[in-house]
Amino acid sequence: MAPVSLEKLTKVYPNGFEAVHEFNLEVADGEFMILVGPSGCGKTTAMRMVAGLEEITSGVLRINGEVMNDVSPRDRDIAMVFQNYALYPHMTVGENIGFALKMKHTPKAEIEKKVRETTEILGLTEWIDRKPGQLSGGQRQRVAMGRAIVREPKVFLMDEPLSNLDAKLRVQMRAEVARIQRRLGVATIYVTHDQVEAMTMGDRVAVMRAGLVLQCDKPQTIYDHPLNLFVAGFMGSPSMNLFEARLSEGSTTLFLGTQRIVLPPTVLTAKPSLAQFANRDVVVGIRPESLAVAGTATGERPEDLIFFEGDVDLVEALGSEILVHFSTDALRVEAEGMYSDDAEGLNAGSITQRGEGVARVSPETQVVIGEHVRLQVNPKRLFFFDPTSGLALTE
Amino acid sequence: MRLFNRIWSRTASYIILLAFTAFFVVPVIWLLFAPFKTDHNLVFQNPFALGSLGNLFHAAHVMFTFEDYALLNWLKNSAIYSFGGIVIALICSIPAGYGLAHTQFIGRRTLLGVTLFVMIMPATALVLPLFLEANAVHAVGTPLAVILPFSFFPFGVYLAYIFYSSSVPKDLLAAARIDGCNEWDVFRRIALPLARPIIALVTFFAFVANWNNFFLPFVMLPNSTNYPLPIGLQDLLSATPAFNPGQGGQVPIYRPELAIATIVAMAPVMIVFLFAQRSLVSGLLAGATKE
Amino acid sequence: MKSVESSEPSTPLVSTDSLSSPLRRKRKKGVAGYAVVSGYFVLLILFGVAPAIYAITLAFTASGGHFTGLTNFIKTGEDFRFLPAFENVGKYLFIWLASLVVIVLGLALMLHSIARRVSAAFRFIFYLPGALAGAASVLVWLFMLDPTVSPWRLFLGIFGFKNLGQTILPGHLPLIFAIIAFWAGAGGWIVVTYGALNNIPNELIEAAQLDGAGAIQTALRIKLPLIKKWIVFMLILAFAAGTQLFVEPQLVGEASLGLISPTWSPNELAYYFAFQDNNFNYAAAISVDLLVIGLLCAAVLVFRTKLFEVE
Repeated sequence: MAPVSLEKLTKVYPNGFEAVHEFNLEVADGEFMILVGPSGCGKTTAMRMVAGLEEITSGVLRINGEVMNDVSPRDRDIAMVFQNYALYPHMTVGENIGFALKMKHTPKAEIEKKVRETTEILGLTEWIDRKPGQLSGGQRQRVAMGRAIVREPKVFLMDEPLSNLDAKLRVQMRAEVARIQRRLGVATIYVTHDQVEAMTMGDRVAVMRAGLVLQCDKPQTIYDHPLNLFVAGFMGSPSMNLFEARLSEGSTTLFLGTQRIVLPPTVLTAKPSLAQFANRDVVVGIRPESLAVAGTATGERPEDLIFFEGDVDLVEALGSEILVHFSTDALRVEAEGMYSDDAEGLNAGSITQRGEGVARVSPETQVVIGEHVRLQVNPKRLFFFDPTSGLALTE
Repeated sequence: MRLFNRIWSRTASYIILLAFTAFFVVPVIWLLFAPFKTDHNLVFQNPFALGSLGNLFHAAHVMFTFEDYALLNWLKNSAIYSFGGIVIALICSIPAGYGLAHTQFIGRRTLLGVTLFVMIMPATALVLPLFLEANAVHAVGTPLAVILPFSFFPFGVYLAYIFYSSSVPKDLLAAARIDGCNEWDVFRRIALPLARPIIALVTFFAFVANWNNFFLPFVMLPNSTNYPLPIGLQDLLSATPAFNPGQGGQVPIYRPELAIATIVAMAPVMIVFLFAQRSLVSGLLAGATKE
Repeated sequence: MKSVESSEPSTPLVSTDSLSSPLRRKRKKGVAGYAVVSGYFVLLILFGVAPAIYAITLAFTASGGHFTGLTNFIKTGEDFRFLPAFENVGKYLFIWLASLVVIVLGLALMLHSIARRVSAAFRFIFYLPGALAGAASVLVWLFMLDPTVSPWRLFLGIFGFKNLGQTILPGHLPLIFAIIAFWAGAGGWIVVTYGALNNIPNELIEAAQLDGAGAIQTALRIKLPLIKKWIVFMLILAFAAGTQLFVEPQLVGEASLGLISPTWSPNELAYYFAFQDNNFNYAAAISVDLLVIGLLCAAVLVFRTKLFEVE
């Protein structure tokens, strides 16, 4: 029996806005489930429905098999970590952590003991008598975690718990939260807009947009096999390069702007559905790390590679790698919500005029701004999408 | 040249500021000095000459024993009306501010709008209507006819509403619900303990408003034993020869005595002012600020 | 927190006792909201809405209780004391509001340009007389205006005033009430205006200085436009409160040996109708006039300035 199961969970606000549409999800015992998407995609609303903080418009929510739709939050046996921690400012760290136990009329001695164990796990023992106002951001975050884990709930809900930390602390806490979750083995739903957290922390990831779950799978699977343009663009940083291209008769040649690229036959063998796009437009996707400046030794045979050209606009040397921003005359496709927060409608994407792209190349690469470069990519690493539906061509 | 200008304009501003300081402060200082002198001294001495303690004791004795300790009785009445009003105002306005900010019910926005209107409208505008109402239910002359209208304090509700909606995030209350609180627990254990600063603020503003209120008790309380201090002051003024030499020749209340009564009337508010300086400034700003 | 013996076996963090589920409670909607606002709601109805409605009812009926339309309003409007009362208050308001704009803004701008510590002391001193609002402030000013005892007696002497009766001649009253109102009320507005000025980001003022604006230019072109809505707020509130003038003319009247009309202000006139003539319908009509003025001011503030937070 799954600790949490959502069956066609739907939220429609009184003003008619549908924040979540028929959300289906099962979270297994001990599973770390991530809901990710741009803001406004419905991920927080979905979580708040599980918590009981938002009313469920339709659908069924079960926790440990019991229907919970109309049960008040305090009877759902869930714990939640809020984005702003929501620590009680008038209580000490110890009182904050022990508050839920106190409300359950747990004997004092037992509360004290559990609070102490929790603070030890989180390294908070020193601050147990401080008030939240006297703590640093990282410590507050730990108290919020402590308040959740002391309850030993059936389900953890975490709503962007790391988003208020500075970059360094966030990386550190990312690992710590994941470690604590594994240690406790409690089913967890974790909401974030940060695709790095989504990739690194979860057992499974549900990518959401405009109230819909677009794909729900293991993070690596989503990265390697995105089902549509939006997921392809959203997961990964820098984002996947997406260009509008045209296939030739027989789908053997790709026209990328004015460039003509001959595809090896293996491409069509791997994705026979490409044949249907002969003489039609198609969206081509290339992950930045799949690109290299022509001539770079990548361990691949030159005859397996395809090449195209671009002008270098900007070079960002990050030390371990170099990001080369280039432009071509091919039209660039942007999946909505990739950068901005607007996620209206379900159109696959919009096309902008400048064909800009990014390549993530090894730090030895020599490139200068303004240079005309040849870029190489293994055609096996190309993604193809139907430009009208936005769906990936998977086979 | 620029430097000269700056010094000149700076000096000019300090001169103006000091002039206004005199305007604001001299009356208060004069008032505090007056009881140390006799009425005769007040007229013929330098206004800021020091008087004597003997004069003070004499004037105080006359004033306090006047009409069987009427001044103390007014003081007591003022205290009862002010604090009675404050207690009920607090009991009602803090939960109401919380409710307006953090609960959902039909008519919430209307209630908020009406509160805003009544708050901005000068309280005096309702005094005669309140009198007419009290008269219709034969409540005129009873302390409750003053205390209950005092306890209706929409500004306090608005202050509490602003406080709860800006300083108490919704998630904090959600966290309490998840931690096992019912709605009553959420209010009592989380919202109410957090309201301490706002309780002080509402108390302060309600106190100043109630203590200095003249018009409402003036129409509601015809009987001099029920007077609060401001009405008592007017009573003294009309019954004594302090400003009207021809009037009430037998009453021994002159200007030094009247000054003592005025000091007694203002002292409580002045003391609260001195102690609550900081919070009151923030409250003045919070009263209407969105930024 | 007391330390616990380390030998004591610690319970595993995930235990089973929490699984014993309590009764599942259904969520109740709205009840809590009604409960917390109920007390205030009752007060609002009894002491805000009911008196207003009752006054309106009285204003449109005669003493017998039958509907008379606008008769009471017309009759009171035609009363020989009606226009003078509004005229008196009008003059007073003109002086009071003008002094608010010019002096309060001027002082606040000056305070804003000097050291914060020093300005805090000035602000507190200016605000202090606010403690003496109402009857006490009028009494203090009766002393101040009495040339025989006033510390300002030299000043009063310049104008040729020899006794209180000469200073508080009816023609002087608008100015005198404006001075009293200013003395007790300006400090609060200086604090508010100063606070509004303080809300202006420092960078903005620095930017203006870099753009070549001097102190006066900065004040007029940057600071004042940015606190415009606070000035409007101040003026409307002061106007609304000023129309309700009562205690000042009442007390000064007591000291004037009958020189000053007992119906100097509209509120006094309404009071006079209620208590001297026992004509509650006329009193209600004037109250409704004043109520409408108050409501209009509130409406302007709420709907036009967006100063108040209603989400």
